Formats: sequence, C-alpha cells, structure tokens
Amino acid sequence: MAFSATKTMLGSVAQIELVGELDAAAAGDFRKLVDEAANEGAKRLVLMMAALDYMASAGLRALVFAKQKMGANTDIYLVGTNESVMETLELTGFHHSVITVAALDPSILQL
Amino acid sequence: MASLSVPAHLDSLAPIAEFVVGVATAAGIERKPAYRLRLAVDEIATNIVLHGYEENGMTGEIIIHAETTAETLTITLEDKSPAFDPFSLEEPDSIDRSLEERPIGGLGVFLAVRGVDEYRYEYRNGANCNIFTVQRPPQA
Repeated sequence: MAFSATKTMLGSVAQIELVGELDAAAAGDFRKLVDEAANEGAKRLVLMMAALDYMASAGLRALVFAKQKMGANTDIYLVGTNESVMETLELTGFHHSVITVAALDPSILQL
Repeated sequence: MASLSVPAHLDSLAPIAEFVVGVATAAGIERKPAYRLRLAVDEIATNIVLHGYEENGMTGEIIIHAETTAETLTITLEDKSPAFDPFSLEEPDSIDRSLEERPIGGLGVFLAVRGVDEYRYEYRNGANCNIFTVQRPPQA
C-alpha cells in the first residue's frame, strides 16, 4: 500500500500532494517534507488530499508536528479530503486545528 | 479461520491491511465499516510494533487471525511482546482541545474502540490478544 508526497513551494506557501495510504510506516516521509517546507520558510501548508485513500493517527501526528515546526498560527489547509479520512479527523477533534475545503481556491496559494 | 504471520515491523502494516481488507470484503463488510476495521487493526498493530517490541528492544512476530460466523467477522492480533492491556491507558479526554495542546498517545486505542462493534484485549497462553469484532450485513 504505497504512499508518496510531492511538495511545491509557492513563495511562503508549501503545497503538498499526498497519494496513497498514510500509515505509521509512511509518516516519516511526510514529516521529512514538512520539515523541508519549514526550513524553506513556509508559513502556510496546503495539503492536496484527493488522492489520499487512507490516514492513520500517524498522519494526524504529522499534522501536529507541522504546527509545532512552523508555528501555532500556521494555517493548514486540507483540500478534497475523502469521507473516511474526514471522519477520522472529526472523531479525534483534529478538524478544529485545520481548515478543510472541498476544492482548491487559488487564492489560498498566495500569502 | 485464516491466519497470517508477519514480522513485528512497520513494513508489516501493509500486508496486515491487505489481509484485513481481503477478509472484510469476503465477509461482505461494506466500504466504510471495512475502512474503520482496517484503521482499528492498523493502529493496534502499530502500537504492538513500536511500543510492544521496538521500545522494549525486542523482535518477534505478529499473528493475525480472521474468523467468520453468520453474523460476525472477528480479527485477532496475537503477539508475545511484554503483556500490555491497552485499556490501562487513560481515556484521551482532550478530544476538544486544539491540535497543539494534544497529548500524544492513546489515540490509536481510541480509534480502535470507535472503529469496530467490539474491541477487547485478553492475555492468553503467554500472548497479548487484541480482538476486533464487526457485524456482517444480513446475508441474502
């Protein structure tokens, strides 16, 4: 069950596309990208979630890591999250800490 | 009853998930409950690997069993890492806290409890047994 993530820096916005299944084995790859983004000066994270089929609590922890690394006021957008992943976010209360949108409004890529 | 033995390593999460999804599909479990079951088993398997084995400096196997009755599908994870009852953890009461304030730990157990109709733990024959049961839809 493969996972891949690709990062694009748009000024101080890091757009990361997630693909596949984010379990504990894959979470390290995601964290690495978040770490890179923070080191490259990202002040906002936009995660493209449409191709992410599955997310375990390791994925949630990676979001916590992102906020710790980039600062508590960092906006994290989740775009196109599937129903089951949304359910996990809501069940655990993590939906309070991110901004979920169905589709990408290009204005969120500009900071 | 179907069984699979895998090394207690994070790389085993993928074959474990494949096994769970396979038996769930064969048992007629629908997509969303099957996702939740996979998540529950994945979370506990992750805890077994990281907290049962790796943190104790041990290696070993995890055995996963699947058993179907007319009404239920039961998945059991068996391992021989040090005896640990996941229900001895404190209930994560911080669900309404924001992400940054959250204490990490126990989330996996929470997702397991909420993901299946019954999640329970037993210590049997020197092995931790984590047991997940889901209801099957009425069979035609």
